Amino acid sequence: MHEPVLSGVRVLELGGSLPVAFAAKWLAGFGADVVRVDPDSETLTPDEQVYLLAGKRRVSASFAVESLALAADIVIEGDQLGSFLRRVNPAQLRRQKPSIVVVSITPYGQDGPYAANQATSITSFAMGGIMSLTGMPQREPLVTGGSQSQYLGGLNGAGAAVTAYLGSLIHGEGDWVDISIQECQAGMLELYGPGAAVSGVPSMRAGNHVRAQWAIYPCADGFAGVCALERQTPAFFSLLNDPELAEERFRDPLQRPQHDDELQAKCYAWFADHTKQEILDLGAQYKVPFGAVMTPADLLGNATLAERGFFDTVATPGGTAMIPGRPFLGLPWTPGELHSAGQDTEEVMGEWLEALS
Amino acid sequence: MKKLPLDGVRVADLTMMWAGPYATRILAEMGAEIIKIESPRAWDNIRTLIPQPGVEEPWNSSYYFNDYNRDKKSLTLDLAQEAGKATFLKLVKHCDVVIENYRADVLDSLGLGYEVLTTARPDIILVSMAGYGKTGPERAQVGFGPIIEQMSALTSLTGYGDDGVPIKTGLSYGDPVAGMAAVTAAVLALIKRRKTGEGTFIDLAQREVLSTFIGEAFVAASLRGETTAQRGNREARYFAQGVYRCAGDEQWLAVSMRTLGEWRSVAKALDLTEELTDVPKEARLDEVDRRIGAALASMDPQEAMERLAKAGVPAGRVLNTVDIHNDPHLEARGYWVELPHPRMAPWKQPRASWQFKEAQPAMKRHAPLFGEHNREILSGLMGLSDAEIAELERLEVIAGAPVNPGIG
Repeated sequence: MHEPVLSGVRVLELGGSLPVAFAAKWLAGFGADVVRVDPDSETLTPDEQVYLLAGKRRVSASFAVESLALAADIVIEGDQLGSFLRRVNPAQLRRQKPSIVVVSITPYGQDGPYAANQATSITSFAMGGIMSLTGMPQREPLVTGGSQSQYLGGLNGAGAAVTAYLGSLIHGEGDWVDISIQECQAGMLELYGPGAAVSGVPSMRAGNHVRAQWAIYPCADGFAGVCALERQTPAFFSLLNDPELAEERFRDPLQRPQHDDELQAKCYAWFADHTKQEILDLGAQYKVPFGAVMTPADLLGNATLAERGFFDTVATPGGTAMIPGRPFLGLPWTPGELHSAGQDTEEVMGEWLEALS
Repeated sequence: MKKLPLDGVRVADLTMMWAGPYATRILAEMGAEIIKIESPRAWDNIRTLIPQPGVEEPWNSSYYFNDYNRDKKSLTLDLAQEAGKATFLKLVKHCDVVIENYRADVLDSLGLGYEVLTTARPDIILVSMAGYGKTGPERAQVGFGPIIEQMSALTSLTGYGDDGVPIKTGLSYGDPVAGMAAVTAAVLALIKRRKTGEGTFIDLAQREVLSTFIGEAFVAASLRGETTAQRGNREARYFAQGVYRCAGDEQWLAVSMRTLGEWRSVAKALDLTEELTDVPKEARLDEVDRRIGAALASMDPQEAMERLAKAGVPAGRVLNTVDIHNDPHLEARGYWVELPHPRMAPWKQPRASWQFKEAQPAMKRHAPLFGEHNREILSGLMGLSDAEIAELERLEVIAGAPVNPGIG
């Protein structure tokens, strides 16, 4: 077994936000020595702490943050611009230690008129464009579940951190990476972004039905969905087993949108007659992209995820939690234990600051 | 000029649709040379998914394709033919990374699995990003972003909360999330190769990556048997939160009041009655919604956002796909960039989201025309003779246009 990829890499997590915690979690899993400076006032929920803080050492060390930062190879920080809470000066750090990587993950980035604005997951999601596309047309726009804008910022931060670190290894110098959570989303608006940029007409939310064969329907035991491209549509139609679908108005992709309501009605009827598992089995057999709306409990018992060893376990005072583990297979991943706030202050001060001197 | 971190890295890109091309767009932004490989018979569907009316060569005139494939080179290769496979393996010798997002069985069926690639280049990095990974009973499932979202459990958490209906995110959300993870995987494998000299096979399941975005819901389910409720636009950890209609057509503002103090700030900024009677939380939330909704209904959303921002309250417009291209903040940060394209008038495209403040990644070139770099790569990089290239053309292993292009 090889040693973890990021073994020996020191990462300082600063700011206490979900994005920085998620970014640093990936680095911890791949072997980095991640030290989290616990915020004076914790903003993560207890469940988020179990998920995001396992595998990290934790210090309460507001007095020595600058020194810890200098001892790190990578600093991931989320202090808001203009905030009195900002504890390191990234530009100054870069001057003092040319190999260091600093990644700042903030709602709006390091400059511009909104840079100092307060934000939450929903306001960031709203400003990133995805929310305008999400929800039922007759109701208000809807935020996607969980804290998606925050996780998006975090994953962008993790990717940027390791990329800048590789650049530092190759070219000898790190960088300061400015991640704006708004920008992370504005650049991933699928066809709707460039479409609106060209046409000047916004795409609006379409609920669960983009079109009949790109939709979610109630099924016999929950909800299931289909996303059939043109090349998969004949196989999907064959499963619907309706002679009318052989008619030109359904077969011709240019005519089909005018008959979408009728096609949806056929889909509603077919899905209602099948269970999630039946639909998934047919999808695999006929190469039709079917899905089913699974819950976290479903996935905890999922055979594929069990075979692939997806979940880590974390001991907590309330019992053993199962959490998503390695994001992909191929590189060693280390599940971590949960430390309490400030637990490692003395130990880390000794190790990191000694290395600095 | 400071070098970009992936300067000198070359990627053979077999990806199509959105997840993979999104990954290689980021790799390109970070300095890697991306060689996008498409077959004349199986080209990237995105080229023709949304045809522009009345254009010649629609496969070279797609805004959608362009936004996710800029700064890449195009090589056509029919990998179903032996000559195509042999040419691909010759190319792999010159590459650091191969990346693909085919269905799980396709690369092996083509006879181009990881073991085969290592015969061409022993330290090659292969990033495979099938929907459910290369192993396990679900590996044969076909998946696109919305399917991945359902199967990751994220869709089960999204909904208005009053009707039990799960709602999908309004785009193929699983795709770009998997794409970012694939970038991270490729870079970590490059770090490993630098340390050990060894290649890596990354088996990335798009569903698994998206499940990492709702980790706390797995904590709740495994520790306490809880099913995370659909909550509409509210947030249990805050005093109140909602999305409110403003003046104008489909204009909305999201407002979070994390504390009682922030509610008071909102009330002051919008001239609302501050006091809330001592009622249960749900009724209190309804009352907050009613008061804010009434105040914002006639207010310009930008003005409302700025007023609340000044009061220190988190507020964000629900920017639609047009308004986001005119957002003053993104404009001030130079986020939208126009690049010339040989077949289309310029339009606003997003620049790199990873702003390396010193190396300064910048868009350089439009997405490649189909097969645009065939000769440059086959001759210039790989050293094939004119006769060898002519033979590949005769066999239709390479081509300058797709065979029988239709709607994707």
